[in-house]
Order: sequence, then C-alpha cells, then structure tokens
Amino acid sequence: MTFGLACCAIEMLSAGCARFDLSRFGAEVFRPSPRQSDVMIVAGTINKKMLPAVKILYDQMPEPKWVIAMGNCAISGGPFVFPGQYNVVEGADSFLPVDVYIPGCPPRPEALIEGLLELEEKITGHRRWPRVKPETAVKG
Amino acid sequence: MSSLAQSQLRETFELNIGPQHPATHGVLRIKVVMDGEYIDRAEPILGYIHRMHEKMGENRTWNQFWPNMGRLDYLSAIAYNHCYAGLMERAMGIVVPERAEYIRVITAELNRIQSHLLGFGAYIMDLGGFTPLMYAMDEREQILDLLESVTGSRLTYCYFRFGGVYNDIDDDFITGTRAFLKRFRPQIPMYHKLVTGNVILMNRLIGVGPLSAEICRKYGATGPVLRGSGVNYDIRRNEPYSVYPELDFDIPVYHECDSMARYMVRMDEMLQSCRIIEHALNKLPEGPVMAEKVPKALKPPKGDYHYAVEAARGTFSMRTVSDGTNTSYRMRLRSPTYSNVSLFEEASRGMLLSDALAFLGSLDPVIPEMDR
Amino acid sequence: MDRAKIKRELEELAAEGLPAEQPQEEAPVEVQAEGEGEDKAKAKKEEDVPRKNGLIETDYATRGAHLDVQINPDQVVRAAEILDSEGMTLELVTGVDWIKEGQFEVIYDYSYAGGQLFRVVVRARVDRNNPDIPTVCHVYGGANWHERETWELLGINFVGHPQLEHFLLPEDADFYPLRKDFKP
Repeated sequence: MTFGLACCAIEMLSAGCARFDLSRFGAEVFRPSPRQSDVMIVAGTINKKMLPAVKILYDQMPEPKWVIAMGNCAISGGPFVFPGQYNVVEGADSFLPVDVYIPGCPPRPEALIEGLLELEEKITGHRRWPRVKPETAVKG
Repeated sequence: MSSLAQSQLRETFELNIGPQHPATHGVLRIKVVMDGEYIDRAEPILGYIHRMHEKMGENRTWNQFWPNMGRLDYLSAIAYNHCYAGLMERAMGIVVPERAEYIRVITAELNRIQSHLLGFGAYIMDLGGFTPLMYAMDEREQILDLLESVTGSRLTYCYFRFGGVYNDIDDDFITGTRAFLKRFRPQIPMYHKLVTGNVILMNRLIGVGPLSAEICRKYGATGPVLRGSGVNYDIRRNEPYSVYPELDFDIPVYHECDSMARYMVRMDEMLQSCRIIEHALNKLPEGPVMAEKVPKALKPPKGDYHYAVEAARGTFSMRTVSDGTNTSYRMRLRSPTYSNVSLFEEASRGMLLSDALAFLGSLDPVIPEMDR
Repeated sequence: MDRAKIKRELEELAAEGLPAEQPQEEAPVEVQAEGEGEDKAKAKKEEDVPRKNGLIETDYATRGAHLDVQINPDQVVRAAEILDSEGMTLELVTGVDWIKEGQFEVIYDYSYAGGQLFRVVVRARVDRNNPDIPTVCHVYGGANWHERETWELLGINFVGHPQLEHFLLPEDADFYPLRKDFKP
C-alpha cells in the first residue's frame, strides 16, 4: 500500500518507475486501498495526529500482512527527535509490528528493493537474488 | 416552491478526502460538504505531517538547522538551502565568492526543473494518465545523477554552507549538464504533443479553477499560481538575489487564470531554467567556492532578519529573530504552499468535486512544507 | 502604489498610538573602570530601553525590509487597510514570545507584487497574560490561516477570528508549543 507520508514517498515512487523498476520483482502493484494489499510500506514521519489513521489502515488490511518501515523517521523518529519534541511518534514499531527496517534519509530506491527482497526471504525462506558483498573501500 | 420545500430538496452530506491519498501530494485531509456533485464548502485540515521545524530552529544551533532545510519541501530543497544561506549571510555580512554564487544558481535551477517535472507527472497521474509520470521520472533521474555527483544526496540536499557551497563542481558535472540540456530541450515539445494537446486534458483543465489576481493578492499566493493569473511577480526579478540580475531569462506569465494557465507556466519555466543554466555555465568564473573567515559558531547581531527566494512553488521566505546567541530566538518559515492552498476554501465553492481535485493539483502542493 | 503616502500614513498612525509624554527615566549606569565598563554600560542601556511606537526606515540589504513600524495592537486593522488600499500583499504573520519582558510580539510582513520592490514590517506588542489583538482576516483572507497557526502555537488570541481551532496539532492538544516555558 502506498503510504507515502513525506520525502521517502518520492523515493518509493522512483523505485516504481523506469530506472529502479520494482515490477521486475513482482512488486509493481501499488494499491491505495488497504483492503487489497499485503504489505504496508510506512514511508515518512508518523505524527501523533496521523497515528490513529495509520492504525486504522493497518487494521483494515486483511491477513497475512507485513509492515516495512522505510526511512529513519519510520524506524525511530528520524532527524525530528529532539529534547522537547511534542509531535513525532518515535518509530512505527511503537505501535505496529514491523518486519523489515530500511534505514536512510531517504533510503535509495535500491535500498527499498533490498528491503523487499529481505521481506521475501523472511516469508519464503529463500532469496531470489544473490546477496552482493560490498567492496572493501580501503586499498593499501 | 416554498422555501421549506426548497431547503428539503437541497440536502448536503459530508465527505472526507482523507489523509491517505493515492496522489503524491502528501497527507492532506479535506473535509468537504457536498451538495450532490458540487462542493458547498471545502475545508483543508493540515497537521498530519507537522514536524516542528520552527521549534527545532530554537533548539538547534544555526549550523545544526541545515538538515531541516532540505526536508521542508524535499522537491525544491536547494532553493530552501539558498534562502537560509542568504539569510545568515545577510545577517552576518558575509560575502559569497562569485563562483559559489554561480554554482548555487545552476544547482537551484536544475532542482527547479526536477521539481516541475515531478509536479507535472504527479498532476497528470491525478487526472488519470500514468504515462507522463514515467517519462518525467526518467528525465528527473538524469538530473538527480548530476546533482548526486556534486552534493551527495538525491533528494534532501544539504549542499550550501554559510559563505558558499561545500563542494566544488568538476568538469564531469559541466559536460554532463550540457549534455542533459541538449537532450532535454527537445523533450518539452514532445510533452506538449503527448499531453497538452490531449482533448481530455484540455477539457479537464481549461476554465477550471479560475483565480483572479485579486484573490491571489488577498491570500498571498505566489509562484506559478500568481503568474498564471497574469501578475508578473517573480522574486528572481522583483527582488533579485544571488547572480540572477546578470543572467538572461524571461518570466512566463499567462492571463487566463485557470488551471491550464498554471500548468503552462510550469512547462515554460522549465525551458527558461534551461536558459539560465546554459548562460550561467558560460559565465562560470574560476575561484574559491567558500568565503574566507566564516566563523564556526555564528552569532548574528540582535534583531530581525528576512530573506526571500523563488522556490519552485512560489516565494519562500524566512524571518528570524536573533538574540545574539548561537541559536535563533524565533525562526519563522513562510512556505509558498501554505498561502497557495489557503485560497482553496474560497475558490472551490460551487465546483464539481473532480474539478476541485484538478484545481488542487494545479496549485502543486507539497504538504510537508505546508505543515512544517 | 505610493511609497511616500504609505510612509506618511503609517507614521501618523504610529504617532496616534503613542502614550502621553513621560519624563525619561535614566537607566542605571554603574560606576566602572573606563573603556570596557563604558561599553558595557552603554550596551545595557540600549538593551533596557524598549522600542517606542514609530516608523523606522531600515536598510534593506541587512534587514530585508524597507519600512518597519511599531504600533499599538488595536491599530493593526487600520494599518492593514492602509496597505491594502495601496495594493500590498500580506505575506506572513509571525508571533514572538518575549518571555523576559512579559510580552508577545506579532509581526506582519507586507510586500508589493506590482513591480517595485517594497517591503513593510508592522509590529505590535501585547501583554503575555492577556494576549488579545484584533484580527485582520476581514481585510486579508490570507491572514486567516496565519493567525490560526499563531494562536495554536503561541496562544495569542485574535479577537474576531471566525475559526480559532486546532490546525497543526491534534484536536485535543492543550498546550502552546512555541512558548518559551513549554515543557512536553
């Protein structure tokens, strides 16, 4: 379900478009309605005002359902947590069971793809795209 | 017919266009009282992404506030960076080297093109056409590659510093930008052929959402909204900053005051931005990109300061009250979308619901900058 | 748009609102060593004297505005009407919490969209315990949202506003976050 709240929504949109094509992984279909979706990608900051809406949308999704927390704000409140803050919910996992966390501010579309593959691995047990080891940067 | 019978015929119901939107405008909730298919009263309700930027301005030091500027209007983040940098440079009297000013203008205009492309794509997607979004995002990815090689981020830029920019541009960026301009310029007529001449689009946009110059003035609407109503007001020309006075460009103004006019203003602005970038690249001087002797801990003199820039959506301005310490006493951000959408309530009376959504899309709102 | 006319009318308005002439109070100057002591005393004297109602022509290059007027709170509607009749736009309404002085300040930013560059800043101070100021939203429709937000974040009451309800904060919020004595 497209749950684009803030900046991460644009990276989610980019992930769905021509360059970082999500449909080659079978994840092209973004449905605005919760009744037809399996995964809720929480992309953006959750507010105390928005919290009931997110909860209702999660409850409306039929089982089996999963949640991906995309971006620093959905993981822990992100750059908007400071002493004296009054409006930001510190992480989607304070009220939802999150399955995959994708860090970044905003995470690259490739990171979103990696997150979806992780979720697939969590659900099915095997990964359909080999894991790429990052090159070591320091030489000599 | 007696008035009682008339009022019984006219039954209104409340509809909620909820915070979760299929469109990418963000989390805007509109409570609409409908009379059949016509809107009786529409009330936008904000606050679903209120992220306390103004409170953070008081809690963070001047330097620590930079990341916030990228996250207000994430599509036009460089213009917001520009305003903040200009504000502090005005307050402290810092002179920015010329090469840095040109780099600022080049990156800001690339960002403007990118923002208008996404606005165009998302708007047409709102109206039901999915193809232009794919084309627009492809062009946008080319710009994001260029900007990423210089700034390091794709979306929420934090590239400027007080006194200049933190990273110089290299020859790869310059050749890449020239190549992009060469590729992009013929695309705009292609978009016009693909989209603007489409009879469905014309029926949905022409005559929809008329906004007179007077209502724009009363509500403080700026940017393409104001220029689509015939008023030639652009901060780059009326209140020039940076090196815009030395660059050669026109301000597109349309007088039809409807959604089509606002759409055409944005398309023409993309071409004008190409002109600005080309001219700036030709004039780019050598030199440092950072002013010397910028203090690490800024302490601007006491008082109020104000600075305005032309972001992609209109006039973005900041007013800060400084009390001489290393944090601001009050940081006020005036976002263009806030003023643009404030006229939605008055302007949408009596519209069809689908027309009202086309009208809202033509205002090109980005909700996080509205809520701050 | 007639700049001189705006300046003259705002000056008259500010002068109307000045209280009757009072004998000037001497700010306490401590006897200190020369040089540094003198500067300190001078700075303290400048700090303590609150700004009186009146019009100042500010330097655009440093402050970002051309005229800066301070008036009484009950005169803000008249100032808005003066500026509206000359075609200016209200861009911004800011509220500032001066907790040490026990006042709120409301700052209105006006600009001109017709060609010439002209920015006017209008200020008014209200008492912190009784922050009432008339609304200008009947003159400028755009002030509606700005004032609503200023009420919500600071608690300044705009008398006559049609809808002082919660806007950015949740509906059941009962705090004013931007006040300096706010604790979450």
